[in-house]
Amino acid sequence: MQIRISEEMPMMDKLSILADAAKYDVSCASSGVERKNNGNGIGNSAACGICHSFSADGRCISLLKILFTNECVYDCKYCANRRTNDVPRASFTPDEICSLVIEFYRRNYIEGLFLSSGIINSPDYTMELIYQAISKLRNQHLFQGYIHVKCIPGTHPDIIQKLGLITDRISVNLELPTAQGLETLAPNKHRKTILAPMRQIQQGIEQSKNELVTYRNAPAFVPGGQSTQMIIGATPENDYQIINVAENLYQKFKLKRVYYSAYINTVEDSLLPALPGGPPLLREHRLYQADWLLRFYGFQAAELLSEEKPNFNILLDPKADWALRHLERFPIEINRADYDTILRVPGIGTTSAKRIVRARRNGALRFEDLKKIGVVLKRALYFITCSGKMMYNTRIEEDYITRNLLTVKERLPFDRDGITFKQLSLFDDMNFQPPEIMARQLYDGQSVVLGQL
Amino acid sequence: MELYLICEDSLEGIFTGIYEAYLMKRPHEEIHIQVGEEENLRLFAEYRHIVPDPGKAVKVARTIGQKFGSDGYMSVCRALASPDSLKGEAIYKMIVKGLLMKNPAAIMDNLANPDVLKVFELARFCGRETHLLTGFIRFKEMDNGILYSPIGPKNNILTFLMPHFADRLPLENFVIHDENRGLFGLHPKQKKWYVVTEAEGFKFNPADQPCSENEAIYSELFTMFFHTIAIEGRKNPKLHRNIMPLRYREYMTEYERHSTQLKHDNF
Repeated sequence: MQIRISEEMPMMDKLSILADAAKYDVSCASSGVERKNNGNGIGNSAACGICHSFSADGRCISLLKILFTNECVYDCKYCANRRTNDVPRASFTPDEICSLVIEFYRRNYIEGLFLSSGIINSPDYTMELIYQAISKLRNQHLFQGYIHVKCIPGTHPDIIQKLGLITDRISVNLELPTAQGLETLAPNKHRKTILAPMRQIQQGIEQSKNELVTYRNAPAFVPGGQSTQMIIGATPENDYQIINVAENLYQKFKLKRVYYSAYINTVEDSLLPALPGGPPLLREHRLYQADWLLRFYGFQAAELLSEEKPNFNILLDPKADWALRHLERFPIEINRADYDTILRVPGIGTTSAKRIVRARRNGALRFEDLKKIGVVLKRALYFITCSGKMMYNTRIEEDYITRNLLTVKERLPFDRDGITFKQLSLFDDMNFQPPEIMARQLYDGQSVVLGQL
Repeated sequence: MELYLICEDSLEGIFTGIYEAYLMKRPHEEIHIQVGEEENLRLFAEYRHIVPDPGKAVKVARTIGQKFGSDGYMSVCRALASPDSLKGEAIYKMIVKGLLMKNPAAIMDNLANPDVLKVFELARFCGRETHLLTGFIRFKEMDNGILYSPIGPKNNILTFLMPHFADRLPLENFVIHDENRGLFGLHPKQKKWYVVTEAEGFKFNPADQPCSENEAIYSELFTMFFHTIAIEGRKNPKLHRNIMPLRYREYMTEYERHSTQLKHDNF
């Protein structure tokens, strides 16, 4: 293949093409690395991560997310940059990337760089070009902000090794949840070449952590950890398979994040599904909810779904769904239960659970206190007691609770503060309306009077 | 009789008020701290003006730091940056409560206490606004190379923002201008940052100073990037407004012009 590097193309067009081509990469996190500036360069990194803007689809813009090039020798069916697709092509030079990053960073537009790429010639050739660009940014421009590089499957381990020492995060996309799906839609990519670099990065991170314990100034290898991404809804896997894959990645590959991306029709192909109802966003949302349950709430994939029930409930979130299937464990006593038990209550997240555990040392908590602490009482009230009492006289029955959870506004007379008591007054009956007949008579009478006038 | 101590709206003023309140040796329920001038005078209440005294304020600050730990002290400092007029009273009553506790360092965990909750909420609001602005601030490059950014925060967060940017951009001369309070955070290249006020006679009018040549190029590039990166099939305006409130947008480069205009100009 001939390489076309179009020097004359204006920057505006180039950035437009290469940002547009990168937008389907989900990851834009800049968290997990705390690094101060050494005083003679530009940039630092905050462990909490910083979002610099939010695009119209509600996703955060933290990093300058671009492709190095959208030229590609591969022909993955779902990808807009595939070889056989007729789109304008462009490539950056390392200098262009450096000046874009530095000038954007100075103006506080971005937190760092996210660099992915199509494949020119071979994975090694492309990754070597990327390495040169990143190396220039780090060593010549002394850039100390966050850098995330997408690794192309099949890259030589030596290149990954040297790249890992100057980037904060390297990620390899899993692309599709199963090897079978990958074979159909991405014939040039193989499960093996995707998992091999993942394993290498995992081992590199562990080794680097051990070295850092002994030598404080040893260079850190991929300090931000690795993440991956898979497309949801392009192949026929069910939710159970997907969260099992995710669980395996977290446990066996020690990934920081698994991203799910609802499949969006960008190219037509007979092997791809038609999506008349738009991308499966709700399904993606449920998968993220389950993902959080796996990472922060101590759930196992097998607890949430099973072979018999392989997909998530559309109406209820996975945690409420789990709780309704395990009513024998509820209600739990807020003032006694341990942290892990409290975490399992719908309407209580990690933050409120931690606050509850700390706040109850100063005395028993009441429902009003829980409200202030941040518990979503309209969901939690069916599952908890405070000092032995439930909030209302509710039943612990699956049907009853499901009905109430689904139609919160109509069932219990909640006020804005979640408390139902109200001072009675003669004049504030909200439902008072003159009966229709009376109103009509009134109207008729009025018209008679007016007519007479 | 209820006693109201009227304090200046500053860390020094409120801490001096708390020091004076403890000196009175009266039940704490009878003493209240009011920030700024009184609006409605109460019957049968005594009002007393407190003159800020750095010496007294330092003592109170030291006690808070020692008893409540650095987290507790930071919470108090953040709450003090809030525009809420009840902050002085909440902080005072929280300190009273905390010093009576067996383990004062755990005071911020006691969220069932209304005063602690109030301070916690004020501190959280201030902390969140600071965090958002570390991302949302937009610098413009002036033709003399200085980076300038106006902000309009609800809390007085300039002093929380400056260390972040001073560490991030050590080789830049930059100015952050709090338009609501007339404060300027200045960072000269490779030197320490400091704050000056309009009241001290410092003047800076961005209109007098033209932007550099590159400024127009990069702001347009970023605006284009911002619009390009959004996926059409996933647009969600309600979510967008939730996570990026409109009040921040008036200061942000990407909202200055509309993308359609840009696209016509350049393609």
